[in-house]
Amino acid sequence: MSEMLKEEWKKEIEIKIDDVCMSFKDNSGNDVQALNHINLAIHKGEFISLLGPSGCGKTTLLRTIADLLEPTTGKVRISGMTPKEIRLQQKFGIVFQSPVLFEWRTVKKNVELPLEIMYWSKEERSKQADKMLELVGLTKFADHYPKQLSGGMQQRVGIARAFGIKPNILLMDEPFSALDEFTKEKLHDDLLKMWRETNKTVIFVTHNIQEAVYLSDKVCVLSPHPGRLSAVVDIDLERPRNIRMKESQHFTDLVAKVRNSFEGGSL
Amino acid sequence: MSKAKKILSSKPLIMMVWFLVLVVLWEIGASNMEKTKRTPENILPHVSQIVGSVTDGKLVSNNMTATQIVLKSAGATLERALIGFLFGSVFGFLMALLMKLSNLVEKTIFPYLMLIQMIPIIGMAPIILAITHDIGTSRIVIAAILTFYPVATNTLAGLNSVSKEKYELMYSYAANKWTIYKKVLIPSCIPYFFTGLKISAPMAITASILVDTLQGDGGLGCMLSQSLKHAMSIYVFWQIVFFSAIIGILSSVLMGFIEKLVSPQMRQFRQSRKHRSKA
Repeated sequence: MSEMLKEEWKKEIEIKIDDVCMSFKDNSGNDVQALNHINLAIHKGEFISLLGPSGCGKTTLLRTIADLLEPTTGKVRISGMTPKEIRLQQKFGIVFQSPVLFEWRTVKKNVELPLEIMYWSKEERSKQADKMLELVGLTKFADHYPKQLSGGMQQRVGIARAFGIKPNILLMDEPFSALDEFTKEKLHDDLLKMWRETNKTVIFVTHNIQEAVYLSDKVCVLSPHPGRLSAVVDIDLERPRNIRMKESQHFTDLVAKVRNSFEGGSL
Repeated sequence: MSKAKKILSSKPLIMMVWFLVLVVLWEIGASNMEKTKRTPENILPHVSQIVGSVTDGKLVSNNMTATQIVLKSAGATLERALIGFLFGSVFGFLMALLMKLSNLVEKTIFPYLMLIQMIPIIGMAPIILAITHDIGTSRIVIAAILTFYPVATNTLAGLNSVSKEKYELMYSYAANKWTIYKKVLIPSCIPYFFTGLKISAPMAITASILVDTLQGDGGLGCMLSQSLKHAMSIYVFWQIVFFSAIIGILSSVLMGFIEKLVSPQMRQFRQSRKHRSKA
């Protein structure tokens, strides 16, 4: 089944990153190459990780896809359209490292916020928020305020909110890096479950090799100075994934393969 | 936290201790003053004497007891202070919004707003009185001016406290400027706005009392200076001093109370306390 799905994905490229370069001026006025000639094709429904140490430009790359940054040269196309057109159609779901919740809104109202902006009716909003909160297991906390929740629960609300708008593409910028290991593992499985049920394209930025391997179909390895794509490693672990797979030889081999593909050897 | 520590750090207890310390210090001062044989009640009467004069039915001036005089004068002063406070806070809030909306306005106005704060009201009050020709209007204007600055600066700080990620999130939803103000910026600045109100409420009252002293039309400040000049009853003076201090504090507490009523963030704290006590 998973092989069949994969064949289907190969048919349709959703995001095309075409020779994207990005340079900034640093404080002393020197040009810094954050991204150097990146080429990448992402298929519909794929779970892709952008993996690398800090300074490799993984977040910058994500931001060019999200229309939060404009590449210096090269272009990004999503289903043939520019990131800006996709953003204006409200087809992006974004999850940041911090949950970015609105303190004065209850958990449920936080999930409803983007739906309000998109002019959903009150009943539809409420129904969708309830559904999303059920998926992340927070139904009981719908009427709580963000400050009453733990960090992991807050991030779950952020994920529920991102999935709630029915985006085509989910962009996640190190969403679990501030969480403890136990919470992280639980959220990995929750995220994979939601991804499986909704079949979105996910682009997941992380600096954690195990995390990237466990979650992804493909791991894009980025190396720093200048930020460049060193390798794309196919992760052929079976789906659905479960925590026991992390103990398998195959998983360890894949982690080693990813680690060795960083330019300049292992880090 | 141990039980003893918890009791010691409770707010009412700390307040009680402060109150007792102040009363004791006051009484030590009053007893010493008594020994000097100078008319003690002028300078530092005993607390019991002041409290006693509140319930004392003795007529001191115009067929009124000391307490009646204080309450009657307080009416005029507080009413004007309240009107000025309302004007000042609305105007301060709108000014903060305007400064947020336009960089130009912020750059050209904000640095100079502080100047208003630097002019002493003692100096400003006669000028305002000369302009308005009316003591009531002057009270309103001065109270409004003093309220305006803390409200405007605190509200602006609240508007500027919104994180970059919140803007980016709204940007990703393709939200327009009006939506961002309505859903993010204005709710974010509400706690800061109330901080401004808590600071300026007692200031508005003080300003109103101060303006009273300029002209005799029966406000608290007017009675304050009269009671010193004419020996109608020295307790009128002390009653006004204490009464003003108490309503100053109460006005600030009242703002905190209103904040709890209107802002959902505060409701959350009540809720979490309930949850904790259940556990």
